[in-house]
Amino acid sequence: MPEVAIIGVGCTNFRGRHPDKTYFELAFDAAKAAFEDAGIDKADVGAAVYGIYNDFFQRQYQPDAFVHDYLGLPPIPAVRVNTGGATGGSALRIGYAEVASGLYDIVLVLGVEKCADCFDYFTKNPVPEVLRAILYTSDMTYDNPIGRTAASGFALAVLAHMQKYGGPTEEQMAKVSVKNHGNALKNPRAQSGMKITVDDVLKSPKIVDPFKRLDNCLYTEGAAAVVLASRRKVAELHPKKPPIWITGLGAALDWAFPGNRESIAEFHGCRLATKKSYDMAGITDPLEQFDLAELHDAFTGTELMSYEDCMFCEPGEGGRLIDDGTVWPGGKLPVNLSGGLIGCGHAVGATGLMQTSEIVWQLRHEAGARQAPNARRGLVQSIGGTLCAWTVSLVLERMD
Amino acid sequence: MATSKKDAFYRYHAARLRLPEDKLRPIYDDELDGKKKPDDPFEVPDKMDVFFKYSYGGQSRFFREIFHHERLLGAKCPACGKVYCPPRSVCPRCYEKTEWVNLPGTGKVVAFTIQHYSTSAFVKKVPFLVAYVQLDGADFLMMANIEMDDVTKAKPGMPVKVAYRPEKSGSITDIYFEPLAD
Ligand SMILES: [Zn+2]
Repeated sequence: MPEVAIIGVGCTNFRGRHPDKTYFELAFDAAKAAFEDAGIDKADVGAAVYGIYNDFFQRQYQPDAFVHDYLGLPPIPAVRVNTGGATGGSALRIGYAEVASGLYDIVLVLGVEKCADCFDYFTKNPVPEVLRAILYTSDMTYDNPIGRTAASGFALAVLAHMQKYGGPTEEQMAKVSVKNHGNALKNPRAQSGMKITVDDVLKSPKIVDPFKRLDNCLYTEGAAAVVLASRRKVAELHPKKPPIWITGLGAALDWAFPGNRESIAEFHGCRLATKKSYDMAGITDPLEQFDLAELHDAFTGTELMSYEDCMFCEPGEGGRLIDDGTVWPGGKLPVNLSGGLIGCGHAVGATGLMQTSEIVWQLRHEAGARQAPNARRGLVQSIGGTLCAWTVSLVLERMD
Repeated sequence: MATSKKDAFYRYHAARLRLPEDKLRPIYDDELDGKKKPDDPFEVPDKMDVFFKYSYGGQSRFFREIFHHERLLGAKCPACGKVYCPPRSVCPRCYEKTEWVNLPGTGKVVAFTIQHYSTSAFVKKVPFLVAYVQLDGADFLMMANIEMDDVTKAKPGMPVKVAYRPEKSGSITDIYFEPLAD
């Protein structure tokens, strides 16, 4: 029997900018919704874990302390987690450990991110300054000064993968964009729901080869919160909504200078973390055993690589699953029904928890127009850092 | 708001942010002219910065050799024989102190991408190349810029050699790579 369940979730809208809210105000909205969803009072919470990525984005170092204050949770303990794009998943991992260890019965895991208060006064646009803020989290001595971006790191991996395996093709990548933008149309929280074609993607402006503008997620603001409870507490509370159990959890931090790895054509750490979560949950045939998955599609090409790292197919075959319908709504294993990062948005610290919330709604059969029929088990993948340094993989199940 | 008060706002922030005043104008005019509603978001210019006198620590010699002598060094582990460039003062695999070795400065491109867009610090430089280079005499890949007149002519596997900028800053951008002739 698993030790830790999700008993409540809350998620704000994901938008390019919430000029009317600070990071702690966004956090408040998500926390309040999650407490209501769980049917608990904030006084029931034993500890909190905050996933917040970039201090420049919030214009505040150690923003977690101020979130905690605005949520009215002092003096219970709280820690902040930051593992780049994987921050949400990592926060959940720490929360899991705090509950599974018996330290606390109820833990709030909350991710929040601003970004678009960053502003480049020369182009009158937030994006170049957002990218500059992100690059402070790349290696400052060797990587930051050469003008690379987060996208170019992942682009190099996709290009190396294409050289090694002959795929994915740019058309296959474009299909991921069509799918995720389309899925987002059914998600009222999503920033970028759009009906587009493969041609629209291929003809969108080049960003970093082989990625065009529509191959990329957009940076987004938002917050998402998850309430974790111990098995004992779940038995005591009898929550109205079915608890969603964390049955598998794996994580890795690969070499952050990817030049140190055996290969940059696959994400070895990601594969190991995923395998660990599968071993814990007894997953031997993911395509059969999962009803849906939320993967970290910061870029279309990396979603396709993730099909391989998550062992939905053999290495090099990721493109096939977008071609044959497997990962589309109604397919054998729909991926990113929320719209993912490309469709819903990438509010970095909140992203993994937004995707966890999506799986929770799906497994409770509360996902409305985007509901996967009879969903009982789902996968959440949270990755981040240069060429997928960090990975957290979570298996979520409904067991009632 | 009186013009002088508006000017004072822009002058103050331009000086504090070290930006030309015209880059801030007219972004804040609606606020300064009192056109915003009481509960509209109130936005102000700001920035975060810290100055450094940064020490490269155990990697200092690598940067000093580039800066003074235009020589490229690697760091070799006496235990496993692996050569690191970027260098490391210890081998993270064996925990042994590394030794400096000269590298020929040649290598080949393993993968490269063309940046058509970048951060505000690099937006004016696009398009430019970012690549993983396998240096001759080193065991791992180095991320680096490749400079060539026509970036569309870059190819995976392309042989390259290190080049040194005539005016050096002491940072890694003192070196870059260019295609090896013939
Ligand atoms: Zn060694």
